Amino acid sequence: MKDVITKERTFNRSIQAVWNAISKAEELSAWFIDADFKAEKGYNYRFTSSGEENCTAIVGEILEADPYTLSYTWIVEGTKAVTTVTWRLESEGENTKLYLEHSGISNYEGETAVTMFNNFNGGWDNCMSELNTYLKKEAHAG
Amino acid sequence: MQDRVTKLFKAIADPTRREIFHALVVASTALSITQIASDFAMTRQGVTKHIKTLEDAGLIYINNVGRERFCNADPKPLKEVDKWLQSYSKFWDDKLDNLEKFLGQKHT
Repeated sequence: MKDVITKERTFNRSIQAVWNAISKAEELSAWFIDADFKAEKGYNYRFTSSGEENCTAIVGEILEADPYTLSYTWIVEGTKAVTTVTWRLESEGENTKLYLEHSGISNYEGETAVTMFNNFNGGWDNCMSELNTYLKKEAHAG
Repeated sequence: MQDRVTKLFKAIADPTRREIFHALVVASTALSITQIASDFAMTRQGVTKHIKTLEDAGLIYINNVGRERFCNADPKPLKEVDKWLQSYSKFWDDKLDNLEKFLGQKHT
């Protein structure tokens, strides 16, 4: 049973720029989701969405936050299933390589699975519209 | 739809059930409840309970031969679970696309 999702991306940016994007609340809120977030071990973060209703919040605790590895638990609020998200960055010449791992997916069971399933079948598009708004604003400003 | 996925996740959430299901897949032949109970050092009652949950999820079907019940694995419903995992996978792809755009547009 596949239990881990892994992703790799290479960005033409410095490792510090990518690190800021994945670890600073202000930047996370721009491309990912509204974040109450501090890259400090033990911090209890909260990812929510602004304005949209019926969007389930994601909560968790920072497990590790040393440049350039960031790891936190990922819990759908109101459920018990604990999964783990880990970001790891590596310099590669002028580029930065990003490794993302989301493990423990099979810990979701029963109702949680259904909730998540439904969320991902459309719901999250609404919940995740912050970036589009942000990009449009940026485009007009420029 | 919801019901089916719920039952599937319930069925595969338990390690013992995963092992029983796996044993049936590997055996690629029907195994009796007695056989499974002996392989897993469990009571027939315990096995029957797990088998029922797996049967509800559509992961196994049962043939009655005389007094014995034979279990066969049917992995097809697992595709639902895989589809669900793929949704999660797509979620991260989308987010990383966002990150790429974000990093490309930043003026710092």
